[in-house]
Amino acid sequence: MITKEIEIINKLGLHARAAAKLVTTAGQFSSDILLSNSSQEANGKSIMGVVMLAASQGTTLTLSANGADEQEAFETITALINDKFGEGE
Amino acid sequence: MSVSCSGIGVSNGIAIGEAHLLQRGRPDIVPRFIETDQISDEVDRFRQAVAGARRQLKAIRDKIAQNTRSDIVAFIDTHLLMLTDEALVEAPISTIREKQYAAEWALQVQRDALVRVFDEMEDDYLRTRKDDVEHVVDQIQKNLTLVDEDDLHHLEGKIIVAQDLTPADTILMRHQGVAAFVTEYGGPMSHTAILARSLGIPAVVGVHEATHNIQDTENLIVDGHQGIVIINAEDATLSQYLEKKDADLQHAESLRRLIDQPAQTIDGHTVQLLANIELPEDIETTPNLKANGVGLYRTEFLYMNRNDVPNEEEHFRAYRQVVNGLGGIPVTIRTLDLGADKQIDGCNDSDTPVCNPALGLRAIRLCLKEPQLFLPQLRAILRASAYGPIRIMIPMLSTLHEVKELRQMVEDVMYSLKRDGIAFDADIPIGGMIEIPAAALAAESFARELDFLSIGTNDLIQYTLAIDRVDDEVNYLFDPLHPSVLRLIQMVIDAGRNNNIPVSMCGEMAGDPRYIPLLLGMGLQEFSMQPGALLEAKHIFRNINAGELAERVTPLMQQLDTPETAEKLLQISALTS
Repeated sequence: MITKEIEIINKLGLHARAAAKLVTTAGQFSSDILLSNSSQEANGKSIMGVVMLAASQGTTLTLSANGADEQEAFETITALINDKFGEGE
Repeated sequence: MSVSCSGIGVSNGIAIGEAHLLQRGRPDIVPRFIETDQISDEVDRFRQAVAGARRQLKAIRDKIAQNTRSDIVAFIDTHLLMLTDEALVEAPISTIREKQYAAEWALQVQRDALVRVFDEMEDDYLRTRKDDVEHVVDQIQKNLTLVDEDDLHHLEGKIIVAQDLTPADTILMRHQGVAAFVTEYGGPMSHTAILARSLGIPAVVGVHEATHNIQDTENLIVDGHQGIVIINAEDATLSQYLEKKDADLQHAESLRRLIDQPAQTIDGHTVQLLANIELPEDIETTPNLKANGVGLYRTEFLYMNRNDVPNEEEHFRAYRQVVNGLGGIPVTIRTLDLGADKQIDGCNDSDTPVCNPALGLRAIRLCLKEPQLFLPQLRAILRASAYGPIRIMIPMLSTLHEVKELRQMVEDVMYSLKRDGIAFDADIPIGGMIEIPAAALAAESFARELDFLSIGTNDLIQYTLAIDRVDDEVNYLFDPLHPSVLRLIQMVIDAGRNNNIPVSMCGEMAGDPRYIPLLLGMGLQEFSMQPGALLEAKHIFRNINAGELAERVTPLMQQLDTPETAEKLLQISALTS
């Protein structure tokens, strides 16, 4: 299992469409993906779960991947977050 | 505690009853339990509704995919993802199973839980994203309630309270025995207000915050004369209103006795009383009221509440039903008048936003530009004309060129009908609605080219005074007695007389007791109004003197711009109030 903290840097935060991208990406891997903040934990493959984390710009989340393709899953999701979900800001 | 809210009374009468709050575009969710043996059916029903929502969203996405902005597509994709999400789909199913809640309620409970989380979010942008949840939930709810006709039955005797009603809403409710309408938006000339009047039920619009101040099932008094809504009235007020309501009923009873009496003034002058109708079902009331005909049959409703446009057969069946039902009195069919506040559902795939629909491509303009939309209607009208007297009325004429083009189209259709051996009335009268100031100013030339004219005052006033009739910020300026409006109306009446063709008026003004004596004095002979106003109008005609009114009104028309005239016009208005 890989676990690391990651900061949400896009301007609008982890809103529904960004969450949709994250969930779609997570869904491509067999590993379990978990995202958590200080108070709650969300299944990285559930859009409502991810949206409910209410992660605005600057929020630090803990991302963990656990399973056969955990390395690739972790890297792909991290890249997506750091790419600001392709939103450009 | 009794609370009184005021708005604009747009349809007269008094209603006393329970409030029924209508969330716009959102079906009403009532807590309801199911039986143990219904659980699996209920879960099934819920899954079907979710699957349906998914299908509908996919269909929308497929339709718009090519040239739409990618973020809109992304929105739909997001909603599609939500429709497969446990939090939205599985949680309500557990609730149905464990608590035996009906599907709508189970979904609503989950929605409320999710929305609450959003409401607590600190980030402004993220907080507003609860819209996504609501949108998806609405989509499922719509599918759940779509075929539940029982839901409409419980509206009987209820007072509908809503932010606003669409024409489609009011149509769905018209046969449900609703007692009154109260809305937050809209003015006296909004389509909804017109419909409420045609239903003959009281309506008060422009009641700010109505859906917040009024709770579901609270007792209300709606006074459509005064534009007042009283919440939880005290006994004294209630009995006062019960008395008023009683007096109204007695007046209505005395009006009913006029049904078989002629629409004749004291001095023996007979006028034509015509009905404005919306739906084929309206034809029942019109002959019962002994109207002389239908002065305006609005055909737009054939186009509403559907995703495609009606074909020739559908048009034909509706028109034939009207003609047969009217038993020989003539019906004036207004050709397609979509646009402005009446949007067509089946052809809104245009990418260009229309900023000013009242001045845009609508009515005859749309018909001439899109013959494939118009020809089936024209052909159906002509076919129906073999079954009884029909007149064709063209809305929104602005130039004579439109009349020429229209006549050419009618000729072409007649030619093809003849070729196909289908019967029609070759002498079908073709008339025009005069509702654009330019057409009123040129009424003489239109009168020479047409078989009749009909004055559409709602639009004529809106265009003349440049006020949006559905905007409650400016509708205080809506004034049928404005000198410019009266001058234009007089021009149309005179043009008809000079050219020996009938002129009717089918706008709201024609059925308004305040303006009937004035219009008669101006020389108007045909008054077309919603059926509910016919007997009141007849009552007025039978108590006024046409000759005297003409003598009073004619000199006023020569000097419309003086304050003395304005005063005298108001006195004439006051004759009937």
